[in-house]
Amino acid sequence: MVRLRVLVLAAFVMLGTACENFLDVNDNPNAPETVTANLYLPPMLHWVVMAPQWDGRFIGRYTEQWVIPHTTGSPNIWSRMGYDRSSDNGAQQWRDVYWTLGQNLIDLMTKAEAEERWDILGVGYILKAWGWLALTTLHGEIIIQQAFDVTRFEFDYDTQEFAYQEVIRLLDEAIANLQRTDGRVDATYLAVGDKIYNGDREKWLKVAYGLKAMALNHFSNKPNYDPAQIIALVDQSLSSNADDPLFTYPGNDPGNQDRNFWGRTRGNIHTYRQTQFVVELMDGTQFGAEDPRMSRMLAPAPDGQFRGVDPDVGWGALSTEERPNNFHGYPESGGLGQPGRYLFDDNSKIPLITYSQLQFIKAEAALRMGNEPLAREAYLEGISSHIDFVNARNAETGNPSVTQISEAEKAAFLASPDINPPTLTLSHIMSQKYIAQWAWGHNELWMDMRRYHYTDMDPVSGTQVFRGFTIPTNLDTDNNGKPVQRLRPRYNSEYVWNRAGLDKIGGLAPDYHTKPLWITEP
Amino acid sequence: MYTFGDPTVTQHLQGDMKAIHHRAALLLGLVVAAIALLGAPATAAAQGSGTIRGTVVEAQTRRPLPGAQVTVVGTQRSVPTNEQGAFLLVGLPAGEHRIAVQLIGYGADEQTVTVTAGETANVEFELRTDAIGLEAVVVTALGQTAQQRAIGTAQQTVSGTDIAQAQRENFVTALQGRVAGLEVNTTSGVPGAGAAIMIRGVSSISGSNQPLMIIDGLPVDNSTTHTGVFASTTTFENRGVAFTNRGADFNPEDIESITVLKGAEAAALYGIDAANGAIVITTKRGRAGGGLEYSNSFRVELPGRTPELQKVYGPSSEGSSTYLFWGTPYPEGTTFFNNVDGFFETAFTQKHNIAFSGASDDNRINYRIAASSVQQSGVVPNTNYDRINVTASSQADATSWLRTDASIQYATDDNNQPYNGIDGAFLGLLAWPDTINARDWLTPAGLRRRITSLSAAAEQDNPYFSVNRNRNNSKTTRTNVNVGLTFLPVSWGNIQTRVGVDNYTTERELVRHPESGIPGGANTNGTLDRVNEVARSINVQTLVNFHRYNLTDDIGVSAMVGNQISDRKSTVAALAGSDFLDPNFVSINNTNLRSSKTTIAQRRLVSAFGQLQFDYKNYLYLTATGRNDWTSTIPPGSNSFFYPSLSASFVFSDAFPSVGEFMTGKLRAAWAEVGKDAPPYAYRQALEFKPTSYGGYGYGFTGPNPNLKPEFATSYEIGAELGFFDNRLGLDATYYRKETRDQIVTGIRSSYATGFILLNVNGASTRNEGVELTLRGTPILRSNFAWDVQANFTRARGKVLALPAVLPEYYSSDTWLYGNVRNGTAPGLSTMSLTGLFYERNKNGDILIDPASGLPIRTTSFVDAGFDRQPDFLIGLSNHFEYKRFSLDVLLDIRKGGDIFNATEHYLTARGLSKRTLDRDQPRVIKGVLRDGLENTDNPTPNTIVVIPSVNTSYYLSMSEENFIEKDINWLRLKDVTLTYRLPQGIFGSRHASVYVTGTELFLLTNYSGLDPLTSATSAASGGSGGIGMDYGNFPVPIGINFGFRVGF
Repeated sequence: MVRLRVLVLAAFVMLGTACENFLDVNDNPNAPETVTANLYLPPMLHWVVMAPQWDGRFIGRYTEQWVIPHTTGSPNIWSRMGYDRSSDNGAQQWRDVYWTLGQNLIDLMTKAEAEERWDILGVGYILKAWGWLALTTLHGEIIIQQAFDVTRFEFDYDTQEFAYQEVIRLLDEAIANLQRTDGRVDATYLAVGDKIYNGDREKWLKVAYGLKAMALNHFSNKPNYDPAQIIALVDQSLSSNADDPLFTYPGNDPGNQDRNFWGRTRGNIHTYRQTQFVVELMDGTQFGAEDPRMSRMLAPAPDGQFRGVDPDVGWGALSTEERPNNFHGYPESGGLGQPGRYLFDDNSKIPLITYSQLQFIKAEAALRMGNEPLAREAYLEGISSHIDFVNARNAETGNPSVTQISEAEKAAFLASPDINPPTLTLSHIMSQKYIAQWAWGHNELWMDMRRYHYTDMDPVSGTQVFRGFTIPTNLDTDNNGKPVQRLRPRYNSEYVWNRAGLDKIGGLAPDYHTKPLWITEP
Repeated sequence: MYTFGDPTVTQHLQGDMKAIHHRAALLLGLVVAAIALLGAPATAAAQGSGTIRGTVVEAQTRRPLPGAQVTVVGTQRSVPTNEQGAFLLVGLPAGEHRIAVQLIGYGADEQTVTVTAGETANVEFELRTDAIGLEAVVVTALGQTAQQRAIGTAQQTVSGTDIAQAQRENFVTALQGRVAGLEVNTTSGVPGAGAAIMIRGVSSISGSNQPLMIIDGLPVDNSTTHTGVFASTTTFENRGVAFTNRGADFNPEDIESITVLKGAEAAALYGIDAANGAIVITTKRGRAGGGLEYSNSFRVELPGRTPELQKVYGPSSEGSSTYLFWGTPYPEGTTFFNNVDGFFETAFTQKHNIAFSGASDDNRINYRIAASSVQQSGVVPNTNYDRINVTASSQADATSWLRTDASIQYATDDNNQPYNGIDGAFLGLLAWPDTINARDWLTPAGLRRRITSLSAAAEQDNPYFSVNRNRNNSKTTRTNVNVGLTFLPVSWGNIQTRVGVDNYTTERELVRHPESGIPGGANTNGTLDRVNEVARSINVQTLVNFHRYNLTDDIGVSAMVGNQISDRKSTVAALAGSDFLDPNFVSINNTNLRSSKTTIAQRRLVSAFGQLQFDYKNYLYLTATGRNDWTSTIPPGSNSFFYPSLSASFVFSDAFPSVGEFMTGKLRAAWAEVGKDAPPYAYRQALEFKPTSYGGYGYGFTGPNPNLKPEFATSYEIGAELGFFDNRLGLDATYYRKETRDQIVTGIRSSYATGFILLNVNGASTRNEGVELTLRGTPILRSNFAWDVQANFTRARGKVLALPAVLPEYYSSDTWLYGNVRNGTAPGLSTMSLTGLFYERNKNGDILIDPASGLPIRTTSFVDAGFDRQPDFLIGLSNHFEYKRFSLDVLLDIRKGGDIFNATEHYLTARGLSKRTLDRDQPRVIKGVLRDGLENTDNPTPNTIVVIPSVNTSYYLSMSEENFIEKDINWLRLKDVTLTYRLPQGIFGSRHASVYVTGTELFLLTNYSGLDPLTSATSAASGGSGGIGMDYGNFPVPIGINFGFRVGF
């Protein structure tokens, strides 16, 4: 019976084993709860460059950079300045600003600040500012002040004016932090996550100045537009193509998620074709001189000629031989196994912003303040550096059938009076800026077009600022005859789950996408 | 001749039975009186010892009852009856002994037997079973037993014989129709396809609605692999693959009985995991005289219904994945190949079961060892399910105060399935043109034969290519060990401890061939997913039972306290490789790009519980239980939760003998609360490795919720068990209602402004209510003919009362699998509703028509259109006939109402293959009003725009899926029918032998236009209502005919 009693006792001891240690099996063995600040960076940098390209498929149709040609029926809805109903198309940056950056960026910045890593904190401020700038550029009113509150189910939108204030504030913080060398500022540490500049703090500082210049230049329709400040900022920014924040895609992921979105492996662009508008900007129709970049950026038809597709017409009467090849340079949807061209190759690097782009911003600001010589200098530097950019990208593709633009070609083009006219106009600057941003700089390119209300006339020459651009005749029925002005917020974020918030800004209206942005209004 | 319901006959019979009963009572009374008068001599004579030899028979049929437990009251002596219903108790001291006999499912019997030294007393016990079974001994929670009359909750038992006889490889599917309130949904009709049990409908909108599965007192794993553990980026989202539920590993032949505890009330003692009830399985144990049992089954399976496609119009052009059939009519004399019917094969299955069982002479040790083999092929080529089960169990009285019980179940299975849905062979079969022989699926060079100019990654796979090249293989090895010790320390009670280890390894290999058109096929030059899943769950449970104690002459009390510790862990190692070098060599080593991933999930649970039961005069019972769980998946501080239950049973026919003259009746009422925890790690934040450039970390889709708390359900049920006509007709009726509040909704969407895409939040609430009726009767009971009938009626309704905060809809993204329909639900809707982009309508409900095209306009947000997949009711009707040596069992499954989404038909219609497109040349005007600004006025413009579908094929392409959600689907299906013939005793030297033939799914009558409305487009791993009632590219259940014999030596 003694044995028995021991056993009974043992049974009761087991009853009492509800100890807390036993239940503490909640450290997720599959995923860390937190990592070092630099390890948060790679996905953010990837998407900051990649997400605008995702949305570029759609913005590129609004801005007539490209088109998916139709044979019968009506043009694709985006070429009619409409939008896909109940779809998240055109809202990739919405996803990435709120989710990919979102809480990750908050964690990164909190850690960086606590650890006095001012360089990585500065990069964090750039990313934060970039996010709001990108979103307000696309959507106008966005959620800022109530964002990232995980206990909230309804979110109020902030005005675009507030968004721009916030962008400028964050960039000033970025500049202040990136100027610091004290604390634990360390290029090697930053380089672990920063494969754009390999931890070079000073180059990020230039990006901060550049983004600030870009954001302030959006105020061209506002009374407080300050061109001198913009020029000063551009001068503190990227000083040559060598400073360009370029993203190199490693291509190691079996799911190909680390490959260039426009590359042949991802296969996202092979059904698209160049528009007549962009061809005419380069084939001499608009400028007189044929642009040497045309044959290096755009694709010829099988017959060797460069033609574009009118979004309203589609393939129209073009014969198979006359239809432009895809951007990889092949007919139909072919060429996926072959080397591509320009930005449309697995090996092509994609920029976040470029030196060339900033030179055009400087040119516009200078011309607006009446400093034509400075404007011309920046304008020619913008074209020249973009020609170098085209050469560099084509070199990366390794495609032997695309030649480099020679120095002679470049010099001749820049010297042409068609390009370097006696009187420089906004029409020159903005149309050339369009070319320099074509196929990658979608957010800024579309902002430019909306700042000039698509078809504004150049006050000096009386030509259209965007030469030859026409608003499609076949607008989506919901547009009520108006051109598109903004992307609707992400459907599966806002139109389903935050309708109350949207309603307060009129976002539920069927023609909300045609409501002009605050920044483009006087 | 006695016929059921004839009042005179019934009275006559009642009279007979009563007379017998009175006589027996009188006799017993006399015996007792005589013994009492004789008094002391019996004990005084206790010098030597004697023997009791007895038999236990079923009262009505005089059939011997094996496995009945014979106990000498007041001692630990207890023996089971052998296969002939006989028992032997040796070495009993001379004198009087009270002998009690009990057997699950029968009323207990007790007799006083006088043992004389050196002699053998012969005695017979008669156990009764009747339609109401109030006296029957039944299994309750935690492996305890109780008399049915004392139970205040709804539960129902199915015998192992019925389960085994249904000839289903997965015993879960054999439960359909046999239990009121229980519904089984199968993913597909292919071998090894998973099945999900649902008791009392869908109450959790995102979590599992499956009951807890218990074998021999301890929980076992009945989960289904979630496809999220795979390493490839082209995921399956729990669809396209009909993974097996792990409960299918157990051999139906090892099951003694299954007791279904229907609600939280009955399962209260099981706590947190049994909010949706419990399936309590008791496995077979050995008994004296068991000997050798052998049975087999040979089955032939034929495809059930096969789809019919239009064979008038030929292909016109290529769509996005295959031809569109909007072309000119086929010329006369066109050769058609019988592709669809020719695809299916006659399938063959064989099963062999062998078992040895027995007991030592003194019955102190019994054993049973059994082995079983199943080799099943499917009607779809290249599909099969092979399983081997080996089990052993033994019970022993180690000492006078210690009883041991041990069982081991080993199973190994190997399963090849086709893919379902859009990537599967079934749609490939339907889409393949009938003018091209589908059997020619390879080119002379041995490559995939292509028939369109579409890219290899776009063209729908040939069905033969699909089943030959895109393999989906699973292999599982499982061991379940269960050891129990019962200490019998004192007269007032005992202590039972059980330790169980449930351990399995599943290896899955899913191939997307480099030439295949499905995602992960040609577009990545092949993908191989390999998953090794190791799951183990350890459970330790200790119970202290206090025997019934008489507080007064009328009031007794019994009690139990216990605790349980459980630790469940699964570790999944997943490998994925793409870009095959040799296109036909299946190995990760043959892939150029590889990725891998591990998924570990662990949950620990500690519980303490107790039960107190009062009885009053043997007709009123009151039971209270309480349980406290501490779970690891809820943040400390709120991870401890207590919930009580109360139930009462009142046998009013005993309380009021005047009522008892006419009927037997019991009323019961129960109330319970039960908590439920969250999935592991749901409340903690988690960063995941990102496959984008240069890796790094970032949050996953789902945000952390440090405030997560357990959800609670409160439920009550009331019921009655009534017996009429001397209990030859029994009715068991239950009404229940359950409200779940603070329901944890996993993966609900919200604004991305939260910083996340999905959230795990408390806040949904649902209400479930329903009625369960079981009617049992024995209309005919004669010496050579008997007829038993049982009808199970189920009505279960679930409704969403609220969603977290202001969120408008919840849906599982797994179910957004065809067009724009998903299992969305919202406050006020059924828990099994559907939402979709349906037709835009004006205030009168007229469809709005686009004035430009004459075609209807679709909504731009997901809306409710009154669809509900919940049936109005289900009826399972089983009949058992005995005639001389024949017996016949028939189970009919009847369903009324509930909507089914026939996505397959939409798929066929959009491609011009459906017969409903044959009137394509018929001009028509779609009934509706133009959206011209007047649509919501009193005078909307009626649509008059003529559309000819063959010219404007958008007519079909833009057709809303709502036209394919078929409302109020009914069915009547013959689930099983078994005819058995018992061969004369002693044939071939056997103890017993029988031959049988069983038909499964022999016919289906339904108003559903598709093949089979019993379908689910997602596997059981998808939570909430999943894809139940969504029919998309699934192979239906085939018709089967089994032959075999059963013999015992």
